[in-house]
Amino acid sequence: MARTPSELLQGTVDILILRALAWEPMHGYAISRWLDARSGGVLAVDGAALYQALHRLEEHRLVSASWGLSENNRKAKYYTLTGAGRARLRAESVVWKTYADAVTKVLKPA
Amino acid sequence: MARTPIRSFRFPWRSRADIARDVDTELGFHLDMRIRELTARGMDPDAARRAASAEFGDIEGTRVYCRAADARGDRAVRAADRLTEWRQDARYAWRTMRRTPTFTVVSLLTLALAIGANTAIFSVVRAVLLRPLPYADPARLVVASESWPNTPGSRSPMSPPDYVDYRAQQHAFIGLGAYSNAMGPVVWQPAGADPTTLTGIAADAQLFRVLGVRPMLGRVFDAHADVMGDSASAIVSYGFWQRALGGDPHAVGRRLTLNGRSTEIIGVMPRGFVLDRNEDVWLPLDIRDDLANAAITRKQHWMIVIGRLRPGVTIEAGRADLRLISNRLGAQYPDADGGRAAIVAPLHELAAGNLRTPLLLLQAAAAMVLLIACANLINLTLSRTIGRRQELALRAALGAGRGRLVRQLLTESVLLALAGGALGVGLAIVATRALLAINPNTLPALFPVGVDRQVLGFSLLVSVAAGAVFGIVPALHAMRAGVHDALQEGGRGANAARSGSFVRRALVTTQVALAVMLLVGAGLLIRSFAELTRVRLGFEADHVVTAQLRVSGPRYDSIPMVNGFYDAVLDNVAHAPGVIASGAATVLPMQGSVSTSLRIEGQPMDESRLPDMAYIAIRGQFLEALQIPLIAGRRFDASDTPNGQKRVLINQIAARRYFRNGDAVGTRIRIGPNPNGDWMTVVGVVGDVRSGGLDVPPTPTLYVDHAQEAWDHTLTVVMRTTDSRQAIEALRRAVKETDPGLPLRNVQSMDEVVGSSLAARRFALGLAGSFAGLALVLATLGIYGVLAYEVSTRTREFGVRLALGASTRSVLGLVARRGLAWSLAGLALGMGGAVAGARLLAGTLYGVGPLDADTYLLVAAGSLAVVTAACLVPARRATRVDPLTSMRSE
Repeated sequence: MARTPSELLQGTVDILILRALAWEPMHGYAISRWLDARSGGVLAVDGAALYQALHRLEEHRLVSASWGLSENNRKAKYYTLTGAGRARLRAESVVWKTYADAVTKVLKPA
Repeated sequence: MARTPIRSFRFPWRSRADIARDVDTELGFHLDMRIRELTARGMDPDAARRAASAEFGDIEGTRVYCRAADARGDRAVRAADRLTEWRQDARYAWRTMRRTPTFTVVSLLTLALAIGANTAIFSVVRAVLLRPLPYADPARLVVASESWPNTPGSRSPMSPPDYVDYRAQQHAFIGLGAYSNAMGPVVWQPAGADPTTLTGIAADAQLFRVLGVRPMLGRVFDAHADVMGDSASAIVSYGFWQRALGGDPHAVGRRLTLNGRSTEIIGVMPRGFVLDRNEDVWLPLDIRDDLANAAITRKQHWMIVIGRLRPGVTIEAGRADLRLISNRLGAQYPDADGGRAAIVAPLHELAAGNLRTPLLLLQAAAAMVLLIACANLINLTLSRTIGRRQELALRAALGAGRGRLVRQLLTESVLLALAGGALGVGLAIVATRALLAINPNTLPALFPVGVDRQVLGFSLLVSVAAGAVFGIVPALHAMRAGVHDALQEGGRGANAARSGSFVRRALVTTQVALAVMLLVGAGLLIRSFAELTRVRLGFEADHVVTAQLRVSGPRYDSIPMVNGFYDAVLDNVAHAPGVIASGAATVLPMQGSVSTSLRIEGQPMDESRLPDMAYIAIRGQFLEALQIPLIAGRRFDASDTPNGQKRVLINQIAARRYFRNGDAVGTRIRIGPNPNGDWMTVVGVVGDVRSGGLDVPPTPTLYVDHAQEAWDHTLTVVMRTTDSRQAIEALRRAVKETDPGLPLRNVQSMDEVVGSSLAARRFALGLAGSFAGLALVLATLGIYGVLAYEVSTRTREFGVRLALGASTRSVLGLVARRGLAWSLAGLALGMGGAVAGARLLAGTLYGVGPLDADTYLLVAAGSLAVVTAACLVPARRATRVDPLTSMRSE
């Protein structure tokens, strides 16, 4: 994975996080584990990209945050999808699917 | 992945350090979790730490990024919160206003009147004093003139030869240009329609370049093509182009018949361009004849000269430059230019000069009205806030912070002030339009009055400031009083009422003082006006109608033709039914005059200090029509033929001042600049007439027979009549029969002529009077309001007093005395202020001094009466308190 994510990759990380939070509110570490597990290790997002994305999403109020206790009783910052975040996820998913289908179609051997 | 949130506090109020700590905690948690996981898988703790850190990537960069993002997010949330709060405050304010409609309506009206007054005056101040003149870089434009011989400080226009010499010898200016406003109306004969008159000015080719205004269409005058050329050319104004030419884009090149001559339009000036008085057309100024005759015309001063200073040249340097030339001219032509000094003044100062003081005084008066209004509103709001202490205390107890409550009260007052201000602006627009429509000639055409963005900005500023002032005082007061007392007291008790009493007393005193100052000012103006209307005019204006009539065109190039026309018209009118006497003159009383110099036969005279005489040419029964009495000798009669011995009449002042023993009849005189001109015989002395305006005492005046001196082609016909409409119709018919190509202009009664000389004064008086009246009403309401409120809060006390046997009289005195004491203090202060301030009015007053005792006494007695009434009404209410009810009331 590139050290400085390009625009496209930034967008990708954002939508992956939103997808993760659609499942349930999570802290950052849990999100990284969830993505790892869901993608079979393919979409490993590094910590820097993950947290920068989370704070960016929070600034734009696509996610909201609150402090809670983790599984091992430590103070952790939990993120929740907001209404705006949910709407963004829906819209971006459609775009992504169309894009991915198109790329697949082009790459398919004739 | 179970989640157990324990607390969910709001982030937006975090400090910078809070944010940094939160980010560190969050990132630290992530790394720890990863290290734990890796060690659980059997990795060495140190290795696990290194691995976690490497996996994470740029920790420091992320830290910085997250902190910045959090700070931005927090700020956005805070702003949104504030907006929500403000919206709540506004909604709450709206509800409060609706709950107390009387308070709201009274406050809105007060604010609308006060802010409206300020806006109206400011729109004039902006037009006259602040707005740049409609020329390029107007700050560098100056008016160049000359003093009268040996009379420093006086100002006269320039003569054509002087102007040309200044223009050729000066170094400080990019250029000098000149115009004449003495041209008289221009007659326009549209094809197939009745002739009309246009306002026109003759300007030279340099003037438009000096002013730096490009024509919208076509070009400006050119010295060779237009002034010296054979074909006549004209530049028209935007207004004329719109109105008369339908905004024709091909107007340049079209021809108009102006003054009987076919004239080509060579240019159209842009909108708003004006020189002197809303001109329709500009014609080329031709001074070639004057220059050919310089020996005589050097003494004829009629050109208004405008110059543009070179970049970097100060006005002092420009003045010094022209002074040098005026000294040189004085040495060269001692007869004409000896003792004359060049004068250079900024164009704007000259145009707005005499309006500056009255306008600033009116603005100050308006500001005083606003102060009184604010004092009233502080009092009203204070009473209301004290009445609302329980409510406010409750809100405070429920968690609203002090700041929040102050903000709430401020929101209410500012919203109220903005609404009042909006009403006021509307009022100002309507009022200024109406006032200027009633008095059209109050302001020079150079200053178009209107409400533009700057005026609106001013009103907005004034509204917000007023709202803040009358909101913050009561708000702080309510806060200082503390919430616990309010809750414990359980209502509006005597303590609450008393707590604001010092502020109230000071406010009432201030209000009365300000109102008294305004009343004295307005009183002095009213007395001046009354003095002016009582002035002896020297003629009878009743039952006299006037109309301006100008002969123009090649037909009237010879004097006999001019005489023939006017004789025919006046003869015809003299026999019309209802006309008692009819005549004509070059200028009517009240409308100023042309002046000329006087030499008397047999009296040695200092050639450089010849006496000045106003010069009026008259025809027919002008003196009889205005009933100007004959004192000695005779009037003009049939024996005075156009080519016979020249005759003149003079007025009494001239006879007394310039002739031995006042005995002028039979003496011969010479007038005008030419020392060898024709002798004229004084045949009669007539009564003095105020010619320069009501407020200008009569000056020495000379009447010549227009039949003998018919060089001025514009006369105003005056008719004493029993039916003015019929007389004007007869005049119209007479003109049409004699020459159908000539129009009547400025038809008005002599009363209107007299009245219009008071237009500016009436305008200022109307404003000052209404401000003073408004101030008195507001101040009275203020005293009444404060006392009424006091009485209502002290009901129980009065009940007890009355129950214990106090007489109604003593209770009445108790209340009224307080109000009167504050008012008397205000009255004294106001009188002192008026004495100090009235000096500023001195230049505007007529017939009364700024310390006119009658005015001061009248104002004092009047305000005392009004103030006493305002005190007695609430005091009487206090005496009607029923002891039983009042005890139960709390």
